Amino acid sequence: MKLRKLLVVLTALTLVLAACTSDDGDTTTTAAAADAADAGGEEMTSLLDEVIARGELKCGTRDALTGFAVLTEEGDHVGFDSDFCRVIAAAVLGDAEAVDHVDLETADRFTALQSGQVDVLSRNTTWTASRDGSEGATFLTVTYYDGQGMMVTADSGYAGIADMDGVIVCVAKGTTTEGNAAAEADRLGLDWEVRPFDDNDLIQEAFGAGQCDGWSADSSALTGIRADQPDGPDSVVILPDVFSKEPLAPLVLDGDTAWAQAVNWAILATITAEEWGITSANVDTFLDSDDSNIRKFLGASFEDSDGNETTLDAGLGLPTDFAYQVIKQVGNYGEIFDRHLAPLGLERGVNALWTDGGLLYSPPYR
Amino acid sequence: MTTVSVTKPSALTWVRRNLFRTPLDAILTIVFGSLAVYVGIRGLLFVFVNGRWEIISVNLKLLMVGRWPADELIAIAVALVILGLWAGLIAGIIAGRQVRKGTSAIEGMTRLERASDLGRRFGLVIATLLLLLSLTDTSGPWLMVLFTFVGGVVGRLIGGQIGVRSLPSWVSRLGIVVMVVIPVWAYLYMASAVPLADWEGFLFNLSSAAAGVVLSFPLGLLLALGRRSKLKLLKGMSIAYIEAVRGAPLYVLLLLANVSLEFFVPAALAPSKVVRAIVTFTLFTAAYIAEIVRGGLQSVPLGQEEAAKALGLSPTKQMRLIVLPQALRNVIPAQIGQFISLFKDTTLAGLALGILDLLNAAGAITQQSDFRGQGLIIETLVFVGFLFWVGSFTMSRESQRLERKLGVGTR
Repeated sequence: MKLRKLLVVLTALTLVLAACTSDDGDTTTTAAAADAADAGGEEMTSLLDEVIARGELKCGTRDALTGFAVLTEEGDHVGFDSDFCRVIAAAVLGDAEAVDHVDLETADRFTALQSGQVDVLSRNTTWTASRDGSEGATFLTVTYYDGQGMMVTADSGYAGIADMDGVIVCVAKGTTTEGNAAAEADRLGLDWEVRPFDDNDLIQEAFGAGQCDGWSADSSALTGIRADQPDGPDSVVILPDVFSKEPLAPLVLDGDTAWAQAVNWAILATITAEEWGITSANVDTFLDSDDSNIRKFLGASFEDSDGNETTLDAGLGLPTDFAYQVIKQVGNYGEIFDRHLAPLGLERGVNALWTDGGLLYSPPYR
Repeated sequence: MTTVSVTKPSALTWVRRNLFRTPLDAILTIVFGSLAVYVGIRGLLFVFVNGRWEIISVNLKLLMVGRWPADELIAIAVALVILGLWAGLIAGIIAGRQVRKGTSAIEGMTRLERASDLGRRFGLVIATLLLLLSLTDTSGPWLMVLFTFVGGVVGRLIGGQIGVRSLPSWVSRLGIVVMVVIPVWAYLYMASAVPLADWEGFLFNLSSAAAGVVLSFPLGLLLALGRRSKLKLLKGMSIAYIEAVRGAPLYVLLLLANVSLEFFVPAALAPSKVVRAIVTFTLFTAAYIAEIVRGGLQSVPLGQEEAAKALGLSPTKQMRLIVLPQALRNVIPAQIGQFISLFKDTTLAGLALGILDLLNAAGAITQQSDFRGQGLIIETLVFVGFLFWVGSFTMSRESQRLERKLGVGTR
């Protein structure tokens, strides 16, 4: 009797489960098929189409890095990296605010990209060979050339990192900083105790209490930290040595060229605009510029060789006026830099335009 | 009748007996006493003088509800008022039933005693709420708390009237169903205003802990019964589940929930991070609840079950009427302990899944341009710790009260 009841219940359960799974099964099969098509490369549906259809860009970022991405009281993301999310959204969707800023931990940022949780990472990520090769990521134009440096107190008397032997060097945990510091100590034959901390504020406490002889981080970060020292910026010195290359670049998933190109040209547009002196304030005056290259760039009409009025569609899958939208809504590279990084006391340095002796160079848009 | 008069020792005698009995005692008292005073003074100075609490008041909304859209905040208010009414109704009905049965502890009390009893139970929560409200500069939160309070009082009064009456059984059954549906409705109502995926701040910690508690208890109960089942398959499956889940750290399970799911399910179909967190909490806590309940079941003497059998009760009724009530009563402290630990563990989800929970928000706001580089992480962490302490301590106090009421350990 009891057994029969149990059997009936079990059968009913099985039926319900079967119904559920067969439903799921259908959808997963289609999605899996789509995935397979992606991988196959034939009749590929690019992320570009998906983002346009969705009407929103999912941009992997973070919520607490001074100057690069910070969460405001209103819950908005503000910073250099966040603005490049907006640049991409403005280019692809024509709306700089159509961004879902997804906060990612340092450890799972690549997984988020691989699993499709985000469309693009603009998260202060150093372009290295093994990340390019093993994480299935394609790095795009470098938005910021950084390098690791060392900060010491002004009265410590160190003139360079070569003077620092038998010292404690404090670093933030979980980044390339930790390994770089150890490698540099090895290279110079110095005895450093590299002490990792969870958070910059915790290092600040330890540093202030004299528990660290040196504080090593990316130069950009150190500049911001120096400006905020409780005893004033002159109480500390950032040593001249820069002992690693940290080119920070946005990245997308391997194997989706159309999407990678679209994102890349959105970023390049900010550099091109600065080369021509086009800013968010004056971009409208350039729409009837005498320079047909500028008109092509901004998606304004120009006269082609046959004398017809036309606009240039470069075939990137972006709207013809994408550069105009980027510059109008977010600004050129210099504006973004001045908005977020200059207030920290950062100089353009190697991040100046190539015409000013820096490394920023955009291929021509024509 | 003879009264034995015990003279209470004077304070000085007490101090000499307890603190300065031997030279070693005296040294220990002086050393640790001054240490305690020093730490206490430093702590008080920090909280009332040196602490820079502006960062909390400026970011209060971010800490409490994250990026919940401002024009949808009314949904939280409505849900809270309804929940206040609901909690009041339940408290009223329980109190009314106790009056009817003559077991009420508060009936003989004066108004003052009742007020002080309520103050002891909820004074901390009320004080914390007032503290939080004092940090806001808008009227919305004040009105929300006021209406929730009014809802609670109204519910309590109505509930008290319902409780003392004897109702036909179908009415009370319907009432129970309504009481179960109300919080679920409030939850779904809030989720319809703002999708679950966007629940952040302390709201995430509270709501996902509550969901985890509610969902894990029945699952844990079933697993405990399954582990005692005579059906080999059921028993084996229960044991395998409990041991597998208890063998993994919660943090690892949360990380797996974060990164592994999307490799099996397309990203568009995968549930949101908040749902993943709740599911992980539920599955994890259920395994512990199962073992706690099993302990409770073992603590019920075999004679109870045999007596129930002798009365001719069916196996289901033996379990439901005789064994389970005693078993569950015996393990209230352990269960509440598990739920308190779940409440605190919700901060792990913030870290593992990248949800902007209270702890993550507390870290993020220290990088804002007005506050960075000032070591404000200490203030924000103290604030986070305080909120979790208030929640945990209140739960623990209420569980002790429940234990006393049910006579755990005394009968």
